[in-house]
Amino acid sequence: MTAATENTAGRAAQEPAGRRPRRLTAARVGIYAFLVIAAAFFLIPLWIMIVTSLKSMDEIRLGNIFALPMELTFAAWTKAWSGACTGLECEGISVGFLNSVQILIPSVIASLALGAITGYALSFWRVKGANVIFALLLLGAFIPYQVFLYPLVRMFAATGIYNSLLCVVIVHVIFGLPLMTLLFRNYYAGLPIELFKAARVDGGGFWQIFLRVVLPMSTPMIIVGAILQVTGIWNDFLFGLTFAGRENLPMTVQLNNIVNSNFGEKEYNLNMAATLMTALVPLAVYFISGRWFVRGIAAGAVKG
Amino acid sequence: MSSVTDAAPVPPARKRRRLPYAAAIALAPTTLIVLVVYVGCMLWTVRLSFTSSRLLPKLDWVGFSQYERLVSSSRFLVSVENIAIFGVLYIAGCLVLGFLMAVFIDQKVRNEAVFRTIFLYPYSMSFVVTGLVWQWIFNPTLGLQNAVHKLGFGWFKFDWVVDRNMVVYAIVLAAIWQGAGLVMAILLAGLRGIDEDLWKAARVDGIPPWRMYLSVILPLLGPMIVTAVVLLATGVARLYDLVVAMSGGGPGIASEVPAKFVMDHLFERANIGLATSAATLMLITVAIILAPWMYARYIRDGGRR
Amino acid sequence: MKIIRAALLASSVVLLPHGAQAQQMDAEVLHWWTSGGESAAVKVFADEFNNEGGNWIDTAIAGGQAARNAGVNRIVGGNPPTVMQFNTGGQFVELVSNGLLRDLESVAGENDWRSVLPAALADAASRDGKFYAVPVNIHGQNWLFTNLKVLADAGVEQPQSFAELIAAGPKLREAGVIPLGHGGQNWQDNILFDAVLLEEGGPGLMKAIYGDVDTEAARGAEFRKAAEVFAQLRALVDEGSPGRNWNEATNMVLTGKAAAQVMGDWAKGEFIAAGLTAGTDYGCTIMPGGYMMGGDVFVFPKVDDAAAAAAQDKMAALMLSPGVQVAFNEKKGSVPARLDVDVSSMDACAQAGMEALQNAEAQVPSNNFYSPDLVGSVRDVITEYWNSPAMTPDDFVENFVSAMESAY
Repeated sequence: MTAATENTAGRAAQEPAGRRPRRLTAARVGIYAFLVIAAAFFLIPLWIMIVTSLKSMDEIRLGNIFALPMELTFAAWTKAWSGACTGLECEGISVGFLNSVQILIPSVIASLALGAITGYALSFWRVKGANVIFALLLLGAFIPYQVFLYPLVRMFAATGIYNSLLCVVIVHVIFGLPLMTLLFRNYYAGLPIELFKAARVDGGGFWQIFLRVVLPMSTPMIIVGAILQVTGIWNDFLFGLTFAGRENLPMTVQLNNIVNSNFGEKEYNLNMAATLMTALVPLAVYFISGRWFVRGIAAGAVKG
Repeated sequence: MSSVTDAAPVPPARKRRRLPYAAAIALAPTTLIVLVVYVGCMLWTVRLSFTSSRLLPKLDWVGFSQYERLVSSSRFLVSVENIAIFGVLYIAGCLVLGFLMAVFIDQKVRNEAVFRTIFLYPYSMSFVVTGLVWQWIFNPTLGLQNAVHKLGFGWFKFDWVVDRNMVVYAIVLAAIWQGAGLVMAILLAGLRGIDEDLWKAARVDGIPPWRMYLSVILPLLGPMIVTAVVLLATGVARLYDLVVAMSGGGPGIASEVPAKFVMDHLFERANIGLATSAATLMLITVAIILAPWMYARYIRDGGRR
Repeated sequence: MKIIRAALLASSVVLLPHGAQAQQMDAEVLHWWTSGGESAAVKVFADEFNNEGGNWIDTAIAGGQAARNAGVNRIVGGNPPTVMQFNTGGQFVELVSNGLLRDLESVAGENDWRSVLPAALADAASRDGKFYAVPVNIHGQNWLFTNLKVLADAGVEQPQSFAELIAAGPKLREAGVIPLGHGGQNWQDNILFDAVLLEEGGPGLMKAIYGDVDTEAARGAEFRKAAEVFAQLRALVDEGSPGRNWNEATNMVLTGKAAAQVMGDWAKGEFIAAGLTAGTDYGCTIMPGGYMMGGDVFVFPKVDDAAAAAAQDKMAALMLSPGVQVAFNEKKGSVPARLDVDVSSMDACAQAGMEALQNAEAQVPSNNFYSPDLVGSVRDVITEYWNSPAMTPDDFVENFVSAMESAY
């Protein structure tokens, strides 16, 4: 892929993928210029959030949003984690952290698994009516979630699992399903069908082919799917609040309590710190998943 | 629609009977969810749109009166116009920027993981606070305009969020900021799945890389682009948090959007009848846009491609 | 959460002589008071309840809409909280008509709520002559807050009416300050308009518009005058106003960038947090026409067991007891819902509010008391008008009337 820059094409043709060109050419300067400018655009709001979180409220009231803090203070960060009041309890956002993890892990795994299996069944197998199901599923992905709340509450209340961990996990799987299915279905549609045919000739069954052939080639999509689901589920507030029950409320309920009070006094430094801290888990996932992205190509999966 | 799918049970599935059976079992949970939750809730929504339900649903019948009120509401009409502008610009913007970032990041750059994380991080944050930050940036008395004025450039004007004609574009920009990184990740995953041999062949034939990207790679990324478009499109239909945090639908009603119309009436204004009629219209619109494409792509041609 | 609840239970078992009874007096309270000041206020209720042998289980969810939605879902899902917050007004009417709430007649009768509450508040808390809610506070919504130093520097007296505020505009502009710090969100535009409406038309016009949905009143001279005065106020605000949060507008007043703000008395929280004192640093005036009352109530969903019902009765009585009322409202920034309590310990603005409320004529229900659908519809019209300098008062009246006609 080094070929994208003409000057390095010759070298790359002789060398295996993964080596960086050593000389700086005009084209590479252009590449870096683009990336750096894009990065700057993406970083401006982060900059504002970080400096605001390190200022005192008196300084924030002056309204210089880009300026560095005149007096650096980490008070907002410690308060956001373990001191901010969210109703009667003044223990910050740390309270719901474990609950969030407890909701996140089964929900992500279950929705990735169901999405991958459904996508696989839809793209490699012919099941009567499956595409109608898929079309309805996609249509459902466009309705505002809030419209679903009331009937879902009634359904879960009728089955007796309303307000439990299981309940919120099921809800996350339900609402993750359209995109997870689409993601895997379209990815598998891009894989060569010959692989599948060969496995069939070898006598592989439905599950065998999935586990031995298809799943190992899915790494890049599992990462993208995980990025989507980890972020979506970690940041979810509505479903956690409505379905988890008060014993299992996720961290975002606390975050919302800190940043979203209508009529109480507003502490922007605290809001920024709490938001940044809440984002750390998905951020860590993004950063770590990078390695797997690279491994996806290294495996040369597609060539089979 | 279902009769169409009967048309082509093609060889792989036919060979042994127990195989499609296993596939059908594997699809059972999804089928159940679709029928009970998605179809059930859609029908329920449509039904409620013909009622006078307020805070709690009730199953009376008022005909099309909620729809009449809906189409005579200037706020709803503005919402529809806004979502059209937003949808086109947001999807196009995210695709172009996301594709460029994916391609450039795929040039064996140093610190790839750092760039990738920088482009992706906005996706990890809720709009409740980032929307506020964007509101500050676009606000003439707080943000960029104010900062540039302090540097002595008094002519500089950057006040989109308070300008009724520009506020939608301000929201588009903030939304692209959040969504482009995800498109990059999806397309990067697609790029990493492309056969290295293709590039070797291109080199041998002396095809310039930009031509390769436009004529060969882009079509190969087709399914990934579709994924990204659908993902972005659901974000368009559900656009709510960002508007609330950035403009509250204002100035006036200049940046109202349909999902906010639904939300406001569903809860704050205790008018479930009107809210569900708006949701039903959204649903029909999406179905009309999706149907030809869904039919061509997934139903007429069968499962694969 | 689990750990906290266990700890709460454990501590109550240790502290109280009858552990079993403490469990019986469990009361889960769902509310949206989550900021620092609000938390301190709700703690007054909780401490009092726990002192009397109860066990307050706190479920706080920020944002009235999110909290109400979660609570209503739990009520219809058969897992209701013991006690739940609403705004004073019509938000919970349907819960009553569907038989989901307990009536509080016995507690209300015992404690004589009807004679101590303002009539409008008692009405709003009752249906068919029975109490279904406990009003706990009154938030005045038509206050003019000013920065006294800025006014003095510009040589302007504290404005007592919108006419005076408009007249002071040019002088304040000359002094380099924004005359009116306004947060241009639709509900704030609405508060500003209602304050003007109350000044021009008095409580009668407010009720005619929002209560009786009288389109003739909206076509009348007083309403038109209000529309004109409202339009004149546009000249007092700055270009950065649209979309601004109320507290950022308050910040403009307390940092001296703006001279005044029309807002509810919750804005006092920001002044207090910035270390300013009512009467010396900042001024507060109730705009003419009456005291526009909003506020909060608690309702009590029907419960199966007698112990929970007993906890509900205790809570209802306690929330309106005189001492608790003063302590709670001091923290909350509002004034007590009952008018027979001594407020000499409260700040100057609260005392002024309480004094105004003693006159029954001045007890004006805010638009919270009326149909949320109607209020929402006209709010869209008001905010559009405020942000469209080209729209004439006549156009505004027509749009307003058609919004009234389409809403229920």
